[in-house]
Amino acid sequence: MLRRVFVTGVGVVSSIGLGKEAFFRALGEGISGISPVSSFDTAQLGRQFAGEVRNFDARDHLTRAEQGRTGRCSAMAVAAARMALADARLDPAGLDPPRLAVVLGTTMGEGEILGELEHQWIVGGAGAVRRALIPRYGSTLLPIHVARAIGAQGMVLTLPAACAAGNYAIGFSADLIRSGRADVVVTGAAELIQQLQFSGFVRLAAMATERCQPFDLNRQGLLLGEGAGLLVLESEAHATRRGVELQAEVGAYGMSCDAYHITRPHPEATGSIVAMRAAIARSAIAPDDVDFVNAHGTGTKQNDLAEAKVVREVFGDRRVPISSMKSMLGHCMGAASALEAIGCIFTLETGLYPPTIGFETPDPECDMNVVANVARRGKADIVINNSLAFGGYNAVAVFARPGVLPPPPGPPPPARPAASRSS
Amino acid sequence: MKALAVTGAGVVSTLGVGRAALVESLRSGARAMGHVGRAETFDASTYPRVRIAEVPGFDAAKYLGDKGLRSLDRLTKLLVVASRLALHDAGLKKDGAWTAGSPETVGMVVSNAYGSLEAITELDRVATLEDARYINPSRFPLTVSNSAAGYASIWEDLRALNVTVSDGGAGALDAVACANLFLEQARAAALLVGGVEAMCEALAFAFDRLGAFAEGACLGEGAAILAVEPLDAARARDARILATICGFGTAFSPPRREATLVYASSEAVSRAIASALLDADVAAGDVDLVVSGVSGLRVFDDAEMRAIGHVFGEKVCVVAPKLALGETLGASGAMGMLAATAWLGQTASRCPNAPVLRGALRAEARTALVTSMGYYGNASALVMRHPSG
Repeated sequence: MLRRVFVTGVGVVSSIGLGKEAFFRALGEGISGISPVSSFDTAQLGRQFAGEVRNFDARDHLTRAEQGRTGRCSAMAVAAARMALADARLDPAGLDPPRLAVVLGTTMGEGEILGELEHQWIVGGAGAVRRALIPRYGSTLLPIHVARAIGAQGMVLTLPAACAAGNYAIGFSADLIRSGRADVVVTGAAELIQQLQFSGFVRLAAMATERCQPFDLNRQGLLLGEGAGLLVLESEAHATRRGVELQAEVGAYGMSCDAYHITRPHPEATGSIVAMRAAIARSAIAPDDVDFVNAHGTGTKQNDLAEAKVVREVFGDRRVPISSMKSMLGHCMGAASALEAIGCIFTLETGLYPPTIGFETPDPECDMNVVANVARRGKADIVINNSLAFGGYNAVAVFARPGVLPPPPGPPPPARPAASRSS
Repeated sequence: MKALAVTGAGVVSTLGVGRAALVESLRSGARAMGHVGRAETFDASTYPRVRIAEVPGFDAAKYLGDKGLRSLDRLTKLLVVASRLALHDAGLKKDGAWTAGSPETVGMVVSNAYGSLEAITELDRVATLEDARYINPSRFPLTVSNSAAGYASIWEDLRALNVTVSDGGAGALDAVACANLFLEQARAAALLVGGVEAMCEALAFAFDRLGAFAEGACLGEGAAILAVEPLDAARARDARILATICGFGTAFSPPRREATLVYASSEAVSRAIASALLDADVAAGDVDLVVSGVSGLRVFDDAEMRAIGHVFGEKVCVVAPKLALGETLGASGAMGMLAATAWLGQTASRCPNAPVLRGALRAEARTALVTSMGYYGNASALVMRHPSG
């Protein structure tokens, strides 16, 4: 039988708070992390706002040597990993290092280092580039730095799955444990707002001016955000042996690819529907068992319309509560669905659905049961975390209160190739 | 792990395009010599300390047609061409139409180490030297690491899972480990698995600045994609099986000094090998061929050879496909897997110029171990078998 997987700790670096306690409090109060961008000049771009992490100082969390070799993105990941281990009351010294893995999602990883290298090269020429900085670039490095910080010696892997990366990393990490290939995995995702990404989203005409208003009739688009959300996943046997509190069970997840457009979701949301149905079916539950949907909810016209289609298609007439944390955090890209997964843990622990702040005018085309402006108390046994990404990626993960999900059913029968389509 | 079948492959390499071309080149002992100070895709005259090997005369239009290529970068074109070739080589498609697969049941897991430095540099140049308002929005999506795999899904209509992995030089073997888990859970019927890395000025500049490679060794590029299916499913559809994959291991080992970043870990390679052999239920003495990641970076080569010697002794045949193909980073593990299919069961006399580092190729060789190292203390290994067992 496949092993069950539980979340036993979480760590957060976000624009609305550092650490689980502050993050949960802010989610409950509907705090906005949006502010004018301070880390680079936005004057000519016509957009100034994002969810920057303002109160994170690497010196508070990393050793001097760690500070010397990490960029800010990895530093946030290392800090969040330490918080997650502390929350899990897990002392890495007591673990078998090869059975401890680190799997992280991101879009650009140490993009800030690359930005610095490119700036030196473009402005000053080859001679101006600091040689020692070159090996510090690479999305590979995120889990390497975290593994070193926590003493992991098993798999170290980055899944750069753009804006669905958190769900990819968490889902795959759960697979590693379920299949017996690891006992504990530190997983999640981290991302930093870069000038290049900021300019790119402006040029795609996808960015709002001051507020991100998912599902609102007058929504203007997304705002970028940043941060790190890391989770400790543990096999049931390992967690039970330690006698640690189980915060949530990681259910199954579903993945699909639209194969339609590099940036836009499929207008009929077919891939996204497949992924959500797969997550529910593989968790051996029914749509009616789902109490809350933590939405992707970017606040762009197309995303929100597609997501409303998915919810209608999967849940039918039932108006399942849904909310987007991006209204508070902005779109944290690679880190988004990891922070939202931690938002799912918030819901399971507190019985509160985080609000979609700035929700003023319902959009008849996104006619859903949106948790508007203030957190709402409700049944919170099983929640799902929805994500979509550039590349047509869709990933949906299920989280549940411990003891609620039926035992893992084992793998379904093999997917058979359909009959020949050639003519 | 339960054995997986490699039922086909597509490759775009410094030794040519297509699996047959690569296998033939490797057997005949061809080597991509590369050039110093010269490249097809950019002015390399100011990078005298790196030997650059590109896919010679690569023209994606020859394989994909002219339409829709303008907004794609080299990384994406390499991957799309290799993917198309792999689907056809595996008999999943014929003349562009699905034959044994379907869009919903075929997906992709692809390794890449550095993303599209070409696109990132291009946009950074515009933003820095002109104005960030002028960056080309159609090129912006290319800056995202999974963009090439996303485009490949569109071009080839792959709607099952699509995953990009990044673990430096060890990534392509890790991609196989991911694919194995996904296939185990019936998330797809077949997966295209491998890696891609594209030559560009930023990459050449970085390796030139680091001045790392030994005389004659090349920085390469390319895409190597294998079609992988559960063995019983491949047999059930009567697919031709090029090789089986039967074990995987990976390990990370940190340097002793906290301030060190780049680290060649012999211990990580040893542990990855031991773990792959255990996973495959194969004894070290049963391995006939080690396909190493030796690339001409001395510290890494020494660490890897020490680990191989430690596990297998001095007698096993060790080959180094990177000395023929160049260092292809995120693609290199998959290039190594294809090299294993080329050299397994071959005699030294039939492959007189193969880059053999130790021992000799043997006709009766049936089991290969592929190793790969990252630059930070990470390493992975994979056990492959000749289809005849």
